[in-house]
Amino acid sequence: MRRLLGSVTVAGLVAGLVMAFGVAPREETQGNVQRIMYLHVPSVWVAYLAFAVVLVCSVVYLVRRAEGADQLAHASAEVGVLFTGITIATGSIWGRPTWGTWWTWDARLTTVSILFVMYLGYLLLRGMIEDRERGARFAAVLGIIAAFNIPLVHFSVIWWRTLHQPPSLMKPGGAAMPDIIRYALFVNFAAFTLLYAYFVIRRARVLRLEAEADA
Amino acid sequence: MWKDLLVERRSKETLNALFFFGLLLLFVFQFALGPDRERLAGTLPGLLWLGFILSGLLGLGRTFVAERENDCWEGLVLAPGDKSAIYVGKLAGNLLLMLVIEAILLALFAFFFNLDLAGALPGLGVVIALGTVALAAVGTLFAAMTAQVRARELLFPVLLLPVEAPVLLATVKATEAVLLGEPLGSVAHWLKLLAAADVVYVAVGVLTFDFVLEA
Amino acid sequence: MPDNWGFVFTAYGLAAVVLTLYWRFLVRREKELDDAGVVRQQLRQSSSASGPQAAGGGRLP
Repeated sequence: MRRLLGSVTVAGLVAGLVMAFGVAPREETQGNVQRIMYLHVPSVWVAYLAFAVVLVCSVVYLVRRAEGADQLAHASAEVGVLFTGITIATGSIWGRPTWGTWWTWDARLTTVSILFVMYLGYLLLRGMIEDRERGARFAAVLGIIAAFNIPLVHFSVIWWRTLHQPPSLMKPGGAAMPDIIRYALFVNFAAFTLLYAYFVIRRARVLRLEAEADA
Repeated sequence: MWKDLLVERRSKETLNALFFFGLLLLFVFQFALGPDRERLAGTLPGLLWLGFILSGLLGLGRTFVAERENDCWEGLVLAPGDKSAIYVGKLAGNLLLMLVIEAILLALFAFFFNLDLAGALPGLGVVIALGTVALAAVGTLFAAMTAQVRARELLFPVLLLPVEAPVLLATVKATEAVLLGEPLGSVAHWLKLLAAADVVYVAVGVLTFDFVLEA
Repeated sequence: MPDNWGFVFTAYGLAAVVLTLYWRFLVRREKELDDAGVVRQQLRQSSSASGPQAAGGGRLP
């Protein structure tokens, strides 16, 4: 079963690359550097997905004390942080030739950075509490707070950036996104989601084996 | 009765220490930013809330220090009835502490930077109240979670600051407006965000505190 | 606008490296734990195999 998922994931990633480099057109304003978007945007979507899963699993864990839910939450948070890091790094690399600077406090990068630190803190908390059961409980509470914080971060940052800033920040793809670009984006998003699922399942299994080993 | 006296004495110690801390912060701000009055004026709202948050980190982080040092943790955990009552009690205490410190800091700011706050006071009051509830609500919860972690002085700020980022954005923006003499209505969206944050944080705190204080 | 392929490849390359490293970490860890699990199974089996003999020997007067 996992073999199948692995193979489908690889196929998806290859398809994504083909779309990003072969099928998608060269963008007019930015040139080919815009192709980083096919990596950057799906990464951030997967990160949001991962943190949503953390929320659900956290609630399930607190209500039912199912260790599986806790392991899934832990795994999802870890993979989420991974993809958030990729989002930040690719965003920065994309920004350098496009805006002339490695870092900019634009809405997406700022939001994602706050999320990164929040969920890194989640992983830190788990790492620093020795008692397994208490660590799971506390992480679940933190997972809930962090998830509810995401919309607050999203809006506050957008208002912070747009209410005084002139719209000189380039939106990827321009005002209306041509269909072909949208398809390429979607294929990559699907591929990344598969990769996320594959990673989370494996990571959760590792956690389960670790728990059994300690028992 | 004895415990209440102990608690009160400790609060006074905390208050004194935080007062001196606030004073020191003001000196540091002055030295760091130099004598340029214009630049100082622009950063005032940010500096004010920086002062609030830094004091808050110290004050809130100590919420459960009494229980931990005197080995009363079991007393908390084994207390009959709804643990949420403990949360609300600690929250109320923290709110009071924070508001007193903030009032003192505000007065110090007005004195050292020669501000005329008369007109802005009601607006400031609203903003500070909303922001402080958000700080104290999450701070009390996280203080309980980090109370028994070995590196709690490090973990507590690491967890609290990213979560409070939107609150910080909102309060600074709103304070800016109020200090410029604009009506509260002009920053209604920020105030609504703060109110939403307050509701969410307190609700999550009340609902999850039972899980935090389990045996 | 110049094409900046260097940046594109850096971004994709970085992502590929990070994801591959994570994948290898998962595979390695899983193998370690699986092997440890097998060892534990064998130990348990061998101890339960020698158990009944000892118990039976103890009951002889």
